[in-house]
Amino acid sequence: MKLFKNRTFLLFLPAGIFLIIPFYGFIHAVIQSLGGEGLAHYEEILNSERFLSSMWFSIRTAGIATIVSIILGLGFTKWFHPLLTKTSPRLMVWIPMLFPHFVWGYMVILILSETGWTAQAFIAAGWLEDTSNFPVWTRDPQGIGIIITYVWKEIPLVILLLLPVYASIHPEYYALVDSLGGNAWHRFTTVDLPNLLPVLVESFLIIFSFTLAAYEVPALIGTTFPEMISVLGYEWFYGSSWEDRPLAFAAMVLTSLFLLVLTLMSYYGLSRPKWRAMRSDRP
Amino acid sequence: MIRKKVLFLILTLLFFIIPLTVLLLQSISAPWRFHTGQGIDWGWQEYSTLFQNPQLWEATFISIGIGFAVLFINVAIGLFTGKALTPYAYRGKAWLEALLLSPILIPSLAIAMGLHLFMIRVGLADTIWGVMLIHLVPTVPYSIKIFHNSYQQIGKAMMEQPHILGAGFWTQVFTVELPLLRPAIRSVTFLTIVISLSQYAITAIIGGGRVLTLPLVFFPFLNNANTSIMAAFSIWFALIPVFMYIIIEALMMFLPYSRLPWRNHR
Amino acid sequence: MTQTKLEMKNITKTFNHDKILNELTFHLEKGEIMSIVGPSGSGKTTLLRILAGLEKPTDGEIIMNGRDITKQKANRRSISLVFQQPLLFPHMTVKENIVYGAKVSKNYKEEKIESLLEAIGMARFRDHYPSEISGGQQQRTALARAMATEPEVILFDEPFSSLDPSLRQDLRYWVRDFLASRETTAVFVTHDMEEAMIMGDQIAVFEDGNFQQIGTAETLHKSPANMRVATFLGGHLILNDHEFAPLHAVRVGTQKTSKNEVSFHATVEHITYQHGRPVAHLYVNNLEKKISIPIDETFPTREVQVTIPAGSIQTFSGEIL
Repeated sequence: MKLFKNRTFLLFLPAGIFLIIPFYGFIHAVIQSLGGEGLAHYEEILNSERFLSSMWFSIRTAGIATIVSIILGLGFTKWFHPLLTKTSPRLMVWIPMLFPHFVWGYMVILILSETGWTAQAFIAAGWLEDTSNFPVWTRDPQGIGIIITYVWKEIPLVILLLLPVYASIHPEYYALVDSLGGNAWHRFTTVDLPNLLPVLVESFLIIFSFTLAAYEVPALIGTTFPEMISVLGYEWFYGSSWEDRPLAFAAMVLTSLFLLVLTLMSYYGLSRPKWRAMRSDRP
Repeated sequence: MIRKKVLFLILTLLFFIIPLTVLLLQSISAPWRFHTGQGIDWGWQEYSTLFQNPQLWEATFISIGIGFAVLFINVAIGLFTGKALTPYAYRGKAWLEALLLSPILIPSLAIAMGLHLFMIRVGLADTIWGVMLIHLVPTVPYSIKIFHNSYQQIGKAMMEQPHILGAGFWTQVFTVELPLLRPAIRSVTFLTIVISLSQYAITAIIGGGRVLTLPLVFFPFLNNANTSIMAAFSIWFALIPVFMYIIIEALMMFLPYSRLPWRNHR
Repeated sequence: MTQTKLEMKNITKTFNHDKILNELTFHLEKGEIMSIVGPSGSGKTTLLRILAGLEKPTDGEIIMNGRDITKQKANRRSISLVFQQPLLFPHMTVKENIVYGAKVSKNYKEEKIESLLEAIGMARFRDHYPSEISGGQQQRTALARAMATEPEVILFDEPFSSLDPSLRQDLRYWVRDFLASRETTAVFVTHDMEEAMIMGDQIAVFEDGNFQQIGTAETLHKSPANMRVATFLGGHLILNDHEFAPLHAVRVGTQKTSKNEVSFHATVEHITYQHGRPVAHLYVNNLEKKISIPIDETFPTREVQVTIPAGSIQTFSGEIL
């Protein structure tokens, strides 16, 4: 027994050493956000209109992008998963995953900006008189460009995460629900949902934390006001005055804490026996 | 079923194939000005303009170097951890998995900012090594997940076979596990390299602008290059993972029991 | 002249406070084949896994050729284990699978591989992948792979239960002859008494973490050691904790006969046909027991009398070992 434990310990060692990097980084972000002045910097940003509106804008934008990605990705997978067992349809769906996020963001600018392909094509077709009549969907104050980019880029990821779940659901269960007199909604809630829920929650956490705090896409396709929290943090970090640095740390630490609480709540919810029983590894 | 197929084709064409095709077309033609009534001017000059930029080549090599190093470390950590997570179910396993996933739930910007001073102190700031380390943060959790899933699919019983027959640890890894983990290695290759190529902010912070990777060239380009050159640059971004994937696929042919690749697909 | 090949001494295994194995002791002579039978979930598999080295016993020791191997890892033991599933390596051909076994145990000889391929009748399929051959062929290949390591002891964990019945029968005799021709010491775990009788020289009835009795099929039937053994064999009418009557002595009739007999009232639940003879499945009301007895003719009523000559009532007295 001891032998086994030793070997498992050795196998976990690389991952343990790796974990030092993010945790050391995070702890030092916390230390530098305090800057030896207690919670002063937190007080400052929590009273800052710029920070609060940025935080709200970020949560709103990331939340919409994540929920829309998951709903569309779930619908796509549920509807088309029998087709996705073949390689070539799968490869077609994976296309956006081949590009970095900001490159896909640039693609959205090419397609949807006021001088983009769509606008030009509409004018050439005579549907639109002038490029200025095309709606502003990129670098817009509503974050539409950011949302479109993320949704477009994350749907393939959602499909990737959900596909194994759908492949493992036995179709007999649907027949069982049918034979008991259930309808499509019952089929979804009693067969799909219990299998999907852990993966859906995890997908939500992964995508939401990424879209909430990633810098590249909003820097490319967002505006200066309101700005995403990552852009604000990056600006404070590299800003003209050194005094803003602790503010950058405080802003990013607050974002992290928000995500941490969200994660803990989700995992606590999922660790209830009912959901644990659905996981492949039974304790 | 036919209606489903047609709908699937329409959706994938509209959202995935056509954008890619148009991007390709844009990259091999001068910027389009349909509304002024001009036609399309085909040519490769956008690529040659792009490749004349010495920064592009430097950045490409550095990005590929970092990509391979990050990939290698990812496979090593993913393999060991996936293997360690698999055999037994125990209490707190869900929490352990959450802990291993947490580096991608904490904003990488916060981590990079926090590590900045440390990297300066130990001399890793502004170096390619520091950038490699920070690129592990958003990639390793995915790799652990992928390898863990693969090991679970292969199954505990299959893993016991080589052990019972008398194979040692490394023999087992090379003769049975790695060959069976090929699909996982493919996914990890793609994900790791694309993620590594996606990092602008954390590369800029840790690399201090001195470690020139492709994103660090892409962003300034936005201000002074035309759409066609940018389209060519975008295509370049997708070609790198494909190129690296081909190399990995070729390397995997050297794994034991890969002699009949045309039969392995059956 | 026999020599003790493998010995288990007071092996105990607890798992979450449950005693799965309780002070288990037995030994095997060289070339002996022992069948272990017992109900599903009784811990037979755990016993094999401990022998193979995949799990550590909580207490006790395992001795092979006079040497303590309790702490040795599975890949260092000269013991092979054939599972219920063939578990062939999917990325290797039939031949590569067998060669693998030989090579990792450092016993590779080209002629041996050839003779194994011939012996399992797979020479023609040597270059096929596991997904391209049938379940029976896969299981034979798995056996050859285990044999290629030249183990001193080979363990089988219900190796035929995933095959269909007709194939199972052929493979049983084939494996038995194969082991006998190589004088391989083997332990064969099954929940099927018939299989246990075909495969083993000795049969060990395993229940509640220990052997209830070890002996030949004949010994077990003639003098079962206790109620559990008799219940598992299904060849006796158990009267109470210490008394039983062999089923062949039990008569079924419509009424009581002479006085020198014990008789019970029973209900015919069903008549089936086995090996060409009708078999009555009876419920003996007073004993609350079900028995199945071959009969010569069917009865007009469902209510019958089961009679046992007083002289054929025996007490559980068989030796455990």
